[in-house]
Amino acid sequence: MENIVFGIGITALTGALATVAGAAEDTESNIGSQGDPNSQVQLAPQMGFLHRIFNKAVAGEPPAYGLWCCLGAGLAWALMAMQINAVLAIVLGCILAVFVQGVYATTAYLGRTASLKKFGQPVFVDVLKSMTTVTMAHAFVAIFCTVTLCYLMNAALGHPFPLPLLGLVWGISLGAAGSAVGNPYYGKERQYQNQKFGAGVPISASGNIVRYAEAGERNSLDNGFFTAKLGGPASGVCFGLIVFLELWRTILFEHIAAGWGAIIVGILMILIFTIIDRYIEVWARKTYGPYTKPEEASS
Amino acid sequence: MSAVAAKPAAGGAMNPTAMGVGIVILLILVGACYYIAPFDSRMMVLSVLIGIILGGVLIGFGVHFVPVGGAPAAMGQAPGIATGVAMLAAGGGLAGLFGGAWAAEQGTVVAVVTGGIGGGLMMAITCMMVNFIYVFGMGIPAASGKVKNDPITGDSQAEFKSQGTEGHGLPFISFVGGVIGGLLAGAGGTLIYLMLLDLYKATLPTMMQATETQILPIAISMAGMFAVGMFLVNSVLTAYNITGTIEGPHDPKFKRWPRSVVASAVASALCGVVAILIVVM
Amino acid sequence: MTVKVEVVEGGVPHTTIMAAGLIVSLICLYLSYLNVITGKEWFSFFGGLAVVAALIWGSHTIKVLCSYGIGTGVPSAGMISFGSGVIAMLLATKFGLAAPIVALVLAAVIGLILGYLSNEVLNMKIPAMVQSLTELAVVGAFTLMGFAVMIGGGFTFATLTTGSITILGLSLPSYQASFLGGCLIAVAFLLGAIAIQHPFNACLGPGWTQDRMLMLTAECGFLSMIMAAVMSFALVPAGAALISLIIGIIGWAYSYTKYFELSKRDAAAWLDAKPIPDVEGH
Repeated sequence: MENIVFGIGITALTGALATVAGAAEDTESNIGSQGDPNSQVQLAPQMGFLHRIFNKAVAGEPPAYGLWCCLGAGLAWALMAMQINAVLAIVLGCILAVFVQGVYATTAYLGRTASLKKFGQPVFVDVLKSMTTVTMAHAFVAIFCTVTLCYLMNAALGHPFPLPLLGLVWGISLGAAGSAVGNPYYGKERQYQNQKFGAGVPISASGNIVRYAEAGERNSLDNGFFTAKLGGPASGVCFGLIVFLELWRTILFEHIAAGWGAIIVGILMILIFTIIDRYIEVWARKTYGPYTKPEEASS
Repeated sequence: MSAVAAKPAAGGAMNPTAMGVGIVILLILVGACYYIAPFDSRMMVLSVLIGIILGGVLIGFGVHFVPVGGAPAAMGQAPGIATGVAMLAAGGGLAGLFGGAWAAEQGTVVAVVTGGIGGGLMMAITCMMVNFIYVFGMGIPAASGKVKNDPITGDSQAEFKSQGTEGHGLPFISFVGGVIGGLLAGAGGTLIYLMLLDLYKATLPTMMQATETQILPIAISMAGMFAVGMFLVNSVLTAYNITGTIEGPHDPKFKRWPRSVVASAVASALCGVVAILIVVM
Repeated sequence: MTVKVEVVEGGVPHTTIMAAGLIVSLICLYLSYLNVITGKEWFSFFGGLAVVAALIWGSHTIKVLCSYGIGTGVPSAGMISFGSGVIAMLLATKFGLAAPIVALVLAAVIGLILGYLSNEVLNMKIPAMVQSLTELAVVGAFTLMGFAVMIGGGFTFATLTTGSITILGLSLPSYQASFLGGCLIAVAFLLGAIAIQHPFNACLGPGWTQDRMLMLTAECGFLSMIMAAVMSFALVPAGAALISLIIGIIGWAYSYTKYFELSKRDAAAWLDAKPIPDVEGH
C-alpha cells in the first residue's frame, strides 16, 4: 500500500514536471521558430517579404529535444557516476545541454540567413543577441524538467532503462507532442495573423507572414508572448497527460490480473479520448457551420 | 531554380522484380543466421529473428496510419499533424516502448500489448489536443481534402474545407488512423526490444563470464539501443515510401504499404542478424 | 510550398572529401589504439578527431543526397545514417584490433542494402541514393566508434562494457558504470545524428557555399567533442579527459569564430539594430 502511495506521489510530480516541460518546449520553439512553421520564415524573403524573425533551423523539435534531453541526462549520469549529488548533477548537465542548444541556434540563424543573400535578407545581429538567451532560458526549463522526470522514473519508480536512454525516449516524445499541438497555433494563428480568423491559410498567401505588428517590427519575442497564452499551455497539458496517464495506469493497475489490468485501463482511456475528440469535432461542425461563399471578391 | 536532376516521379508503382529480390535477400539472411548459430540454440535464434522481423514490419506498416501533414499543416493548409512523420512515429512508438520495457517481467504477450497501448494512448492524447487547438484556438473545423465523406462517420468534408486549402485538422478517420499507428508502432518496437533482451540475457553471461544480474544493465542498454536504431530505420523507410506526408488510412498513398512491408522486413532482418551475431559468433 | 533546394557547382569534389574523411577517420581510430599499447588512456582524444573527420565527410554526403529533393527533409537522412551505423559498430567492436575495418565493411553492406531497398523497392529512383546511404552508414559507424573511443577509452567490446565504481574509497568492477552499461551510446547516437544533418540543413538556400558548410561541420564536431569529453571524466582518468576537453574547446572556438567570419562574408548585409530594409512592392 505504501509503495502505491509513494508511486502515485511520484507520478503526480512527474505529471506536473511534464506539463511545465511541454509548455516551455513549445514557447521555446516558437521564440526560436523551429520546425514546420519555420519553413514560412525561410520562404518569406524568397517572396520578397524581409523580416526580423529568428530563423532557427535545427532539425525538427523531436530530434532536437531528443538530443538536448538525452545530452542533459547523459551528462547528469556521468556526473552522478563521479559521486556528485544528484540534484547538482542534473542542474549542471542541463546547463551544458542548454549551452549546446544555444550554439546550434546561433549557427542555424547565421547559416540560413547568409544563404538567403540573393533575396537581400540581412543578418540582424541584435536579433541574434536578444533572442538566443531567451530561447536558451525556456529550453533550460524544458530540459531540466524532462531530465528530472526521467531521473524520478529511473531512481524512484524503478524503470529498467538507464538515464540517458530515458532522456532519449522522453525527449523525442516531448518534441513530438509539443510540436504536434503547438505548431499549428504558431504557424497559422500568429505568423499569419493578418489572414481571416477561422480558416486555413490559402496557398496563394504563402510567405506573406506578419512582419509589422502591434509593437512595431515584429520579432520572435512577440511571437513567444502570444503563443505562451494558449499554444504553450496546451502543449504542456498534452505532454503532461501523456506522462501522467502512462505512469498512473501502470502504478495502480499493473498487478491486477498479471498486467492485463493496466492494459484494460489503457484501452478505456483511449476510448475516452476518442469520445472527447469526436465531441470536439461535432461541436465545431455544429457551432461554426460550413464555410459560405464570399459575397464579393476577398482581398 | 530546381533540384539537380529532374527526379522521375516516385509514384505509387510497385516494382515486382525488386520486391522479389528483396524477399530473396530476406530468406538468405534468415538461413545464414540459422546456420551460423551453434546447433543447440538454433531454434531460439530463429524465433528471435522472426520476432525482430515481425516487429519491424509492424512498425513499417503502422507508420502508414499516422496522419502527417508536414509544413502545410502548420499553416492550416493540409490535414494532419504538423510534424515530420519519422519523428512523430518515433515519439509514439518510444512512449510505447517505455511502457513495454517496464512490463517485461510479466511475459512477452503482456509486454507487447502494453507497449502497443502506450503508443496508442500517446497518439490518442496528441491527436485530441491537436483538434482542440484547431477548434478552440483557431476556430477551424476538421476537414479532409482527399475524400468526400469520412469513411467512419459519414460526415461530409467539402463544405468544411476553407477556400484555397487542402483541408485542415484531424477528421475522425485520421484520428483513428493515428491511434492505430501508435498501437502498431509501440507493439513493434517493444517486440524487437523483448526479443533482443531475452537473447542477451541468455547468452551474455557465458560470453562475458558474469552472472545474469551483473550483465543486466548491458543487456538492457544494448537491446534498447538496437530497438531505437531499428525503429528509426524503419520509420525513415516508411517516410520515403509515402514521400513525407499522408492524411491517414483513407489517403490513396496508403495503398503503397506492400512496398514498405517488404522493405521493412528486409531491413529488420539485416539489422536483426547483425544484432544476433554479436552474441552468437 | 517548401524550401527550394539549389545546387551550386564548384568547390572541392565529393570524392576528394569522401576519401579524405575516410582515411583521416580510420587513421585517428587506429592511433587511439596507442591506448592499449602504452597502457595509458591519454590518446582517447583521437576518437574525437575521428568524429570530426567522419562528420565532415558525412555532411557533404547529405548535401549530395538531399540536393535531389527526396521529399522528406534532411534530418531523416541523419537518423537513418546512425540507425544503420550503430548496428554495424556494435558488432564490429567484437573484433579487437580489426574493429574499424570490420565496421567499414559491415556498415557499407548495410547501407548498400538499405539504398537498394529505398531506390528499387520503395521506388525512389534517385541516382545518388545507393552510394549516399552506403557512405552515410559508414560515417555513422565511424562517428559512433570515435565517440566510444573518446568516452570509453577503446573500441573493443570488453573496454566498452567494463567500468569501475568507487564505494568507500574501494574501486570495484561494475558493468553498469561503462559506456554500454550506462547507455551513453544513446547520447553519442543523437549527438552525431544532429551534428551530421545540421550543417546542410542550416546552410540551406540559394547562397549555399561549401567552405561555410564544412566549417560549420567542424564546429558541430568539436562541440560534440567537448560534451563527450565532459562525459568521459566518469570513465577515463581525469588527465586523459582533460586533454580531450582542451583540444575540443580550442577546436570549437576556432571553427566557431571562422564560421562567423564566413557568414559575415556571405550575408546580404550585417546589420545591428536597424529596421527592415525596404524592398520594392512589399
